[in-house]
Amino acid sequence: MAGNGKQDQFRLGFLTAIDVPERGFVGGLLVTNRQGRPLEFQCTTPVKANPTQQVLYGPTLTPFILGELIGGVLVEKACIKPHLILTDRKPILELRNHIATPVLWVALPESEPATDACIPFESIEIPLGKQVVRIDASHAEDRGLIEQEAGQLPKEADLCEPFRRVHEALLETVRGGASR
Amino acid sequence: MSAVAEDRGWRIEDGGSTAASLRITHHSSLITHHFPLRPHVDLFASGINGAMNRRPAVECQSLPIAAADLSVSRWDAIRPRIKTIRLTFPAGMDFLPPPAPRPEGEAIRDAAAVREGEAPAEPRGGHSLASLLPGQPVAGQPVPERKPTRIKPPDDAVSLEDRLFYLLQPPLETWLKGQELIMPFEPFPYQYEGIAWLFSKKHALLADEMGLGKTMQAITAIRMLLVSGQARRILLICPKPLIPNWQREFKMWADELPVVTLEGDFARRQLMWTMPGMTILLANYELLVRDMESLGDQPPQFDLVILDEAQRIKNRDSRTATTARHLPRKRSWALTGTPIENRPEELASLYEYMEVVPPRATPDIRQLTQLSKHYILRRTKDLVLTDLPPRLDRDEVLELTPAQRLAYEVAEKEGVIQLDAMEDAITIQHVFELVLRLKQITNFDPLTGESAKLERLEADLEEIAASGGKAILFSQWTQTIDWLEQRLGRFGPLVYHGKVPTSKREPILSRFKSDADSHLLLMSYGTGAVGLNLQFAGYVFLFDRWWNPAVEDQAINRAHRIGQKSQVIVTKFISKDTIEERIDRVLQEKRRLFAEVLGEGNATSAKLSLTASEIFGLFDLKARHGKGTKPIAPPTPEGG
Repeated sequence: MAGNGKQDQFRLGFLTAIDVPERGFVGGLLVTNRQGRPLEFQCTTPVKANPTQQVLYGPTLTPFILGELIGGVLVEKACIKPHLILTDRKPILELRNHIATPVLWVALPESEPATDACIPFESIEIPLGKQVVRIDASHAEDRGLIEQEAGQLPKEADLCEPFRRVHEALLETVRGGASR
Repeated sequence: MSAVAEDRGWRIEDGGSTAASLRITHHSSLITHHFPLRPHVDLFASGINGAMNRRPAVECQSLPIAAADLSVSRWDAIRPRIKTIRLTFPAGMDFLPPPAPRPEGEAIRDAAAVREGEAPAEPRGGHSLASLLPGQPVAGQPVPERKPTRIKPPDDAVSLEDRLFYLLQPPLETWLKGQELIMPFEPFPYQYEGIAWLFSKKHALLADEMGLGKTMQAITAIRMLLVSGQARRILLICPKPLIPNWQREFKMWADELPVVTLEGDFARRQLMWTMPGMTILLANYELLVRDMESLGDQPPQFDLVILDEAQRIKNRDSRTATTARHLPRKRSWALTGTPIENRPEELASLYEYMEVVPPRATPDIRQLTQLSKHYILRRTKDLVLTDLPPRLDRDEVLELTPAQRLAYEVAEKEGVIQLDAMEDAITIQHVFELVLRLKQITNFDPLTGESAKLERLEADLEEIAASGGKAILFSQWTQTIDWLEQRLGRFGPLVYHGKVPTSKREPILSRFKSDADSHLLLMSYGTGAVGLNLQFAGYVFLFDRWWNPAVEDQAINRAHRIGQKSQVIVTKFISKDTIEERIDRVLQEKRRLFAEVLGEGNATSAKLSLTASEIFGLFDLKARHGKGTKPIAPPTPEGG
C-alpha cells in the first residue's frame, strides 16, 4: 500500500494544524491514496511564535508559522509526496509560495478559526470530489493541473472527512505527550 | 597635534597656555575626552625643576570604544528546527478488482435472497428485505444520512503509532461503499460496527446471535486486514460441514480473495500448510488436529487464526483446544453464537485460546463478565434487527397415545427399578441411557409405530404444503428421521443428516429450495444446526428436544435469520408427563444462565450448570456420585 508499487498512483495530502493553548500550533499532514486510505502521516511538535516574531510579523505571523514553517517542514520531510495538498486553514495557503505543489483550501462545515476567518483571500473556485475547493488567485496557473487531476478522484470523495481524522490524530499526539 | 590623529578622525585641542586640560574629540561622535595637563610632579629637595613649565608631549592612540555605548539589537529570521513524528502505513496486498457491482436497484431487490446464499428470486409476497436495508430509499421518504463508522483504537493499543494507525483509517463506509472494497450489498449498521470492531482487535470473540451475519463480518474484516497490510496469511478453521458455506460466502463477499481449502492426502496438505503465498487457508477441525500432530514442532505461522463455531474448543483439555492454542499466530479471533453452552467456565477455554488469560486460568464469573466487555461483541436480533420478521415459539404439549403411554410407563418403571438395583454402581451414563430410551418412546412407540407427535406434525404439514410453505424438522436421532421420511412421503421430505455423504448435502439443500413439491427437510441437530442458511423456510419443528437451548437456537436460526421475509413459526413438541417436560424446565434455566454471563441480564447468580444430582433428580433418584458438574448430554453436535 504505502509506496510499494503504488507510488505512481494519485495521492492527496491533507494538511492542517491545531492550536494548543500555551504550547502553540501542532501541524499534521496525512497522505492518502485516491480513496482516502492513509499512506503516511506526519505531525510536528508544537511551534510557538516568540514575542519578537509576534511584533515583527504582525498579520503575516500565522501564515508564516502554519504555511511556511509547519507546512514547509511537513511537505519537505514527507517520504510519500502528495500530488495535491488540501488544507482546511487559509493561512496554510502561504505554503504554495514556497513549494511547487498546488495547495487547495477546503471549507469544512465546522466553523473556521477566528484567526483564519479574517484573512483576506482572493480565490478561484474549482469543483473537486464532493466539494468546491479554492486556490489563491495569485497561483491561477494551478487550476489546469488540478482540473486534470480531478478526474482521478471518485466523484463521491468527501474531502472534508480526512481532516477530521487528522484533527483526532493531532489531539491524540498532544494527549499522548508525543509532541512535546 | 599629530597628523596621524587627524587622519583617523580625531581632533585634539588644548585650551591655550592657561588651559589645564587637553580635549580630544572624534568627528563621528560627540564624546569628548578630557585629559589633565598638569600632571603631578614630585619636587626634588632643591625645589628647582626646570621641566615643570614645559608643555607635555601628547601622543594619540586609537583605543576601542566601550561596546555598551554603541550596542545594536539584531534579529535574524532564522527558521526554528521543528521536530516531526512520522507514521508510515504498511503496504497492503493487491488483488484483482472484484466484479463490478450490478445496478443498484437490481442488487437491492435481490439482496434479501442473495446475501445469505440464496439465488436471486422474485419476492414471494410480503415485504422484501430491500425495503429493510439501511440507506435504501423508501418511496416518499428522504433517506436519513447515517453517521459514518469510524475505527477506534483498541483498549490494548498502547503505543502512539498503534493508536494513530486506527484513528487515521477512513470510515468503513468509505472503504466499502463502491470505493476501495466493493461490497455486493450494503451492510447493516450493526455489521459495520462489528467489522470495525474485529478489524481493530487482536483478540476477539464475535458472538452475535445466529443469523446476524458473523460470516460476512469476519470476511470483510479479513479483506480490510489484507488490504491494509495487517495480515498476509490467515487460517480459518470451521466444522467440516460448513466448508462449502464459507466457500460460498467468500465468493459472494470477497470474490477477489484467494481462498484455498485444505484437502487431499497428507503430502498435499503438508504443502498447503507450508506453502508461502497461501493467503487464506480454510480447514476443518479434524484435519487441523491430525495435521498439526504430523507437522510436529514446526507448525506453520499465521497472522490471524479464526475459529468458527468456536464452542468446539470449550473443553480446554481436548485435542482440538490444545491444538488451536498452539498455533503460532499474531491475532486470535473466534466466532460463535453460543460461547456458553453449559457453564460459564467454558468461556475460559476460549479466552485461553485468545490469549487474554494465562494458561490454565480459572477466572470467576465476575472476571468472565469483565473480560467479556473487552473481548466479546454480542448483539441479539431483537436489539439490532428490529425489522426482522418475528419468531413465534409455541410449545406443543401433547398427550402420548395409549400405546406410547403404556410403553413409556413400563420402560420408566423397569428402568428406575434397574437403576435402584445398581446401588453404588450406578453412573450418570446409566441414567442417561434411560433418558434416551424414554425420549425415543415419546417420539413413537417402537412396537406399534403410534406417535402423537407424528399425528400433530401431519396436520400442520397439510396446512403448510397447501400454502406452498416449507418446513425444517430437527431430531436427535437419524433413526427417527428415517422413520419420519417413510411416513411423510406425500410432503416430499428430504433427509439431511450425518449419514448423508458430504458431497450430496449441497444438492439436497438446493433441491429443497427449488423443488415446489418438497415441503419438508428432515435434519439432525448434529448436521443441520449450524452454519446453514435456510431462510426460505417459514416453519421449524423440534420433534424432540436437544440438551442445550443454545443448540436448539442454532437450529431454529437456520430459518430465522437475515433474509427471512415472513415470520418463523417454531413448534417444540413436548410430551406431557414425561421426561421431556422435566428436561424442558432444565433448558429454560440454562437459557437464563446464558443471558446473564453475556451481559443480557443480571450476572450475579452462581453457576447454574446441570449437576449430577439434578440428573439423578429427573427420576427422583439420589446421586451416588453427585458432586460434580458432569454434563448429561452427548457432545455438542459437530456435524456429520
